[in-house]
Amino acid sequence: MILENVIAAANELANFKTISLMMVGVAGGLIAGAIPGFTIAMAVVLTLPFTFGMPAPQGLATMVSVLVGGLSGGLMAGILTGIPGTPSSVATTFDGFPMARKGEPGLALGIGVWSSFSGGIISAILLMSLAPQLARVGLEFNPWDYFMLVMFALTITASLSGKNMIKGLIAGAMGLLIRTVGEDEAVGMARFDFGIDSLLSGFDFIAVLIGLFAFSQLLNDVRDPKNARKALTERGAVQVRIEHGRAIRVLIKHWMVVVRSSLIGVFTGILPGAGGSIANILAYDQAKKASKHPEKFGTGIPEGIIAPESSNNAVEGGALMILMALGIPGDVTAAVMLGALLIHDIIPSPTFISEEPVLAYSIFIAFFGATFMMIGLQSFMLRVFVLVTKVRMYVLASIILGFCGIGVFALQNVTFDLWTLLWFGILGFVMRHYGFPLAPMILGVVLGNIAELNLARALAITTDLSPFVTRPWSLFFLIIAGFSALFPLFQSHRVKRKKWTLFYLPVACFAASVPLFMMGGVPRPVLATIVFGYGVYQLWRRAQNGWRFETAD
Amino acid sequence: MQRLNRDAIVAIFLLAFCGVFFWASFDIRQPDYGVLLPSTWPRVVLGVLSFLSVIYLLQSLSVGAEAIEDDKYDAEHARGPGFRGWIEHWKNPLWCFFLFFLYLLSLPVLGMLIGGITFVYVLMGVLGGWDGNKPVLHAAYAIGLIGAMWSLFTFGLGVLLPPGMILGSF
Repeated sequence: MILENVIAAANELANFKTISLMMVGVAGGLIAGAIPGFTIAMAVVLTLPFTFGMPAPQGLATMVSVLVGGLSGGLMAGILTGIPGTPSSVATTFDGFPMARKGEPGLALGIGVWSSFSGGIISAILLMSLAPQLARVGLEFNPWDYFMLVMFALTITASLSGKNMIKGLIAGAMGLLIRTVGEDEAVGMARFDFGIDSLLSGFDFIAVLIGLFAFSQLLNDVRDPKNARKALTERGAVQVRIEHGRAIRVLIKHWMVVVRSSLIGVFTGILPGAGGSIANILAYDQAKKASKHPEKFGTGIPEGIIAPESSNNAVEGGALMILMALGIPGDVTAAVMLGALLIHDIIPSPTFISEEPVLAYSIFIAFFGATFMMIGLQSFMLRVFVLVTKVRMYVLASIILGFCGIGVFALQNVTFDLWTLLWFGILGFVMRHYGFPLAPMILGVVLGNIAELNLARALAITTDLSPFVTRPWSLFFLIIAGFSALFPLFQSHRVKRKKWTLFYLPVACFAASVPLFMMGGVPRPVLATIVFGYGVYQLWRRAQNGWRFETAD
Repeated sequence: MQRLNRDAIVAIFLLAFCGVFFWASFDIRQPDYGVLLPSTWPRVVLGVLSFLSVIYLLQSLSVGAEAIEDDKYDAEHARGPGFRGWIEHWKNPLWCFFLFFLYLLSLPVLGMLIGGITFVYVLMGVLGGWDGNKPVLHAAYAIGLIGAMWSLFTFGLGVLLPPGMILGSF
């Protein structure tokens, strides 16, 4: 059955037009990812208008290609200029740039490229094998569980996306509110239209996304007149040849770092809101802790490039896994992918993989294929990158603003969407300025109607609210949402060595094990026992230590 | 009276925003069927948003004078004094908003091709300057790239972009 789907999906993609579009997508993603100030999400969101006229597998394959290219593009700028192209390649500069300055830029690039490739492949394998299993778990979800899953996704995104969690939660709630404008989906009554007919159909999700993310980012990039007139990178780039052979040998020698970092990436991608920007630092930190020579990190050693690059490419496999299995986007780029699916009238849910197997598998195969294309195109795009670095920021920003206008109009042929783009561009810019994270707001916009529809379904079944705390999955999401909401407080108080933080992890383990025990069967109670046991162990360790903080704490 | 810091002002604005929307939620028609009324979910969200805004307000008030000094310090170091300094500091984003606004207003007349090229050309001039050979270079960028994008959507993807009165008359 799986083989049949794989063959059918491969047939769908194996034509000249799709492969060409994928190559253009990877190339575009590599360049967009390499430009400091441009994010991968921005590249993917700007690709969206081009794909609406394509058949769904072709359009999604193009977007996946931009995504894969973007994930790998950041390393070029990071290694050659010391300025990370994207937030997900920040840690790559710690060792990539010193290695390049020591006279080995070809090796540094080679290690980066092949680490990205390995991370992408490991994550693609996990995506293909685990997404259908996860979708089976998703089939157990009822409206109460789905509602709580959305609340958990918003809470954890808010807690991970900025210093001030309240601002993150406000942004998430604003996103939910924006989604309520227009006719409600359950009974079709007008809401918050203020007498304006165009508001009856609500704000177009894609126009909101492009406005909040791309438009506001461009305004941010040109805010300072001096920087706006500078070339993208002042240091420029040197002409180098990527040393593939040596890089592969280095990677084989450090295969453990590759696997561990890729797994960290996939796991981070599964968590809503935790994207490549967190994964690359986390993987770098873990590689340093596990190394026999941690003092050498930061001086230009291979492990320092392998860890962040393997993890940041693996992240999207995890985010796509949750999107395709549960219909919940793990990060902003996955939210854009959700938008692409919605444009093609496909609503991701646990039944998506079984109902649309060819489309689902074409996304998996596109992820694989684009990863291979990335290797082939990286050397060529390095030359283009050298040219792109000479472009002034204001030129790029002006042209992209022009493209945004054409692209947003082309989606639905509605002029009102252009006004939506402008107003949300202003809103996004103001929110960035006042320190409000945009990721929770975007997820709020995306998930708003899913939350409301599931709440409506739950209340249609019974007006009793107790299933929100008596159903195991709903309780599980409620508990982890609560602990993720407390996480920023825990972090700040742990630094101040407050006593209660000693109990955070054990109590979280005990609480999370309760719904797992309630789920029945064999594997989940076993898992619950392990989680509970880990909590007991942590508590015992703290008691042994006299309820004092360990040095590592 | 102690001055309010920047976060407190934002929190008060958010509370006022919630008030307006809460008031507007009474205009939502209530059908006599369905368990979850159309106004219930928006009111729940507004309730949460108001609660969070109150916490945000209290948080910003508790920081108080310290934050006001920080705000002043940031503002003085980021830009010149007064309204003029504010305009000077934000002039590039303000130009972008204003020109995009004009672009949208002129769309029925200029259409997407002429309007888009004009918008990009003027914006590049405003942000990058008009000295040397820049006007020619900017014109080449604007005509070449926006023209290519317009052609791709019009001929490649078959999208009917607004022609405007000028091109529409041909």
